[in-house]
Amino acid sequence: MLKKEIIYRNPLINLGYADEDILPNGGFGAVLAHAGLGKTALLVQMALNTMMREQSVLHVSLHEAVSKVDVWYHELFQNIAGEQNANEIQEYWDKIQPYRFIMTFRVEGFSVPKLEERLTDLMQQNIFKPHTVIIDGLKFDESGRGLLVNLKELASKYSMRIWFTIHTHRHEPPKENGLPLSFLHVADLFDVLVQLAAKGEEVYIKALKGQAATAKQDSLLLDPATMLIKNLD
Amino acid sequence: MKIDDQKIRNIGISAHIDSGKTTLTERILFYTKRIHAIHDVKGKDGVGATMDSMELEKERGITIASAATYCEWKGYEVNIIDTPGHVDFTIEVERSLRVLDGAILVLCAVGGVQSQSITVDMQMKRYKVPCIAFINKCDRSGANPYRVIGQLKSKLGHNAVAMQIPIGLEIDAEGVVDLVSMKALYFDGDNGETVRTEEIPANLQDEAKTKRDELIEAASLFSDELTEAILEEKEISSELLYAAVRKGTLKREITPVYMGSAYKNKAVQPMLDGVTYLLPCPSEVENVALDMDKNEEPVVLENDSEKPIVALAFKLEDGKYGQLTYIRVYQGTVEKGSTIVNVRNGKKVKVGRVVRMHADQMEDVEYLRAGYIGALFGIECSSGDTFVSPGINMTLTSMYVPKPVISLAIVPKDNKSQMSMSKALNRFSKEDPTFKTFVDPETNETIIEGMGELHLEIYVERMKREYDAEVTTGNPRVAYRETITQRADFNYTHKKQTGGSGQYGRIAGYIEPVSDAEFVFENKIFGGSIPTQYISACEKGFKQSMAKGPKLEFPITGVKVVINDGASHAVDSSDMAFQACARGAFREAYLRAKPVIHEPIMKVVVETPAEFQGPVMGLLNQRRGMIVGSQDEGVMCVIEAQMPLAEMFGFSTILRSSTQGKAQFTMEFSIYRQVPQSIAEKIALEVAQNKKSAA
Repeated sequence: MLKKEIIYRNPLINLGYADEDILPNGGFGAVLAHAGLGKTALLVQMALNTMMREQSVLHVSLHEAVSKVDVWYHELFQNIAGEQNANEIQEYWDKIQPYRFIMTFRVEGFSVPKLEERLTDLMQQNIFKPHTVIIDGLKFDESGRGLLVNLKELASKYSMRIWFTIHTHRHEPPKENGLPLSFLHVADLFDVLVQLAAKGEEVYIKALKGQAATAKQDSLLLDPATMLIKNLD
Repeated sequence: MKIDDQKIRNIGISAHIDSGKTTLTERILFYTKRIHAIHDVKGKDGVGATMDSMELEKERGITIASAATYCEWKGYEVNIIDTPGHVDFTIEVERSLRVLDGAILVLCAVGGVQSQSITVDMQMKRYKVPCIAFINKCDRSGANPYRVIGQLKSKLGHNAVAMQIPIGLEIDAEGVVDLVSMKALYFDGDNGETVRTEEIPANLQDEAKTKRDELIEAASLFSDELTEAILEEKEISSELLYAAVRKGTLKREITPVYMGSAYKNKAVQPMLDGVTYLLPCPSEVENVALDMDKNEEPVVLENDSEKPIVALAFKLEDGKYGQLTYIRVYQGTVEKGSTIVNVRNGKKVKVGRVVRMHADQMEDVEYLRAGYIGALFGIECSSGDTFVSPGINMTLTSMYVPKPVISLAIVPKDNKSQMSMSKALNRFSKEDPTFKTFVDPETNETIIEGMGELHLEIYVERMKREYDAEVTTGNPRVAYRETITQRADFNYTHKKQTGGSGQYGRIAGYIEPVSDAEFVFENKIFGGSIPTQYISACEKGFKQSMAKGPKLEFPITGVKVVINDGASHAVDSSDMAFQACARGAFREAYLRAKPVIHEPIMKVVVETPAEFQGPVMGLLNQRRGMIVGSQDEGVMCVIEAQMPLAEMFGFSTILRSSTQGKAQFTMEFSIYRQVPQSIAEKIALEVAQNKKSAA
């Protein structure tokens, strides 16, 4: 039951992807939005979907503490689980939680060699090997292209795919392709780009790059109250 | 004793272990002239800090029991409760916070907001205790108070604002700039007792101005007068600024931050000024009692000495002269010779000696007025009991007490030890509600239960030192529990005909798992197939069965019993027969309801230098732990994990040896979770072996 609910809430389903990975090994994806629209929430839902498929997610946060990131997962999971039996929720959570690992760095302390060092610590001892990595809070205007190129190499080396959150600024009008100017210098490194945009009271998800042919544009809504994919039935 | 309530401060000092709170208390006592010499924790003079009154605390360099003391600072009376920093003793911290009006949150300028600070902060939130922060150890290498302020904001969500900026850090720490008076403060004399006020050094002028502006901006949210003064560009007086910061502090919407180094005698006095200026007096804090005569209706207590007494016994200590009961008076006046009633048992007691405490020395007083903290002699009670004037029946909200998660069998070495041990156990269980003791009826062993290995270890040592009771301890045992995972029906008949009156009863129904309660009983019998007078006997029988699982004999939780049919006999049915029938019915259904074992899972937080992160994660992983995440904190790294308690025995030794003693960890109960099948089989084997050896 719970599994079904998570699948239904998979944010990528309307972009034409259900079970399979939208990103290839070593691929990059990103969610672009202004502050407060739900970038982290969207990626956490994506992560929950991956965890449900018994694939590991490494969540790297550059601005929040481990406990706070954990709360994101708990709250969204609880929201998805809704009215289900508390025992069942706990049991399912216990089952999928081992597929997630949270790592937090200070923005100024984050570097690719450091991430690799931490990753090898985990992999060599068979503690954790990520299938998908989420990097939340990286500032694209400040971190140059070099960092992303190195990250891409790291992703290919360890057969991972990486999702990023990209904070766009209201004062910066998007270019014709919908991308902010400060992001253009690295846009080619990304396979999939998804944008969250507010229209009145609602938040829409729009694919800017990499959606499947079957994708339905602008049809996916986030409920701003729960940050969950809206029930359209 | 002075009367002015506005000048009383009941404060606690809470912090992570080793942030120097005992040293800070020692300095406060010195500057307020309650003590005349300074002895450091683990000091070379061997005297130990004054607040660590127990011998054991002196030896370990940690504070276990909270000692209460009072002192005077610039006409204010400050009652201080020194609180322990280790998670195993959090009941002490919680009890202290319950009776306090304000607190000083001590943080280390190097370590910053550590795991224990987070726990303590959560407790402060629970009891809505306003606080000021003191960033200690600014003289240490790597000290960075601004980073700590940032962590207060990001990790604890405090609206932290600096009241001072440091004049030099690490070995150059000289003093602080007070951002309210905009003066530089230096601390002269052998023990920093003389505060010298100077102009702000030229190189800090700009920084001080910026930080003062930040302080004023944060404070302006709480005072229209201050906002007006800013808009009209008027001079902002110290009084105006303090009043605004105070308003925010009392609402817990602003956390004023002081800084210094207690060990190096730097800037403790300005922090004491902060306590008197910014923390609340007793009448500014709303305390609520429950009126037992009006169906536990909440009643707001008035901090009025003329009203009937309402006081809380928050700590007991066994001293040379008998039981010492620490109380906080919320309303009325507890006077020597007056009569008070213990609400829990309705017993009237006459107040004998009334004292105020200074660590382990005391001072006799005639009375304790509303708002005061003191101690009574010769009062028999348990901690958490409420005392009132005869004629009223109110209780102070009970304190949250977690259930014990670990137990240990103890055996006295000889007869003399046996006597002393029972005396000690009696005392400890009265002092500490998380410490429990009982005799296992099967093995005849005395079992002690508590919140962690260290918790029990300390009590065993106290037994030896304070009561001269030599005991040997068994292996620590985890408090496993059993629960069922599916519904199972029962239809059980209890029939006995062995001469005399027989026994007869039949109960039918089902058991099923329930998540939010330990035991639920529902009677769905219509038409009187079991007469009403036997229903409570049925419930009793089922409840008795919950004490011990039929298979592994662990307590059972989370079971709902529904009875929907049955039968009785006009002559042979009785309460006894239905109780026995219920037990039989439970046994019949239990194994079919697929029972499983649950074990306590602890939230473990390890703080380690980054270079040991890999080995520490390895250690946690080997112990069936699930690592939730790792947090990079510059040179240090914090690893959070969920660990089965059963795997944590001896972890501190192994952690120390694998990290050259540089890592430390805290542990607290998180949740009960199902034991994996392979481990459940091992546990079953152990239980069987224990049974065999006991027989």
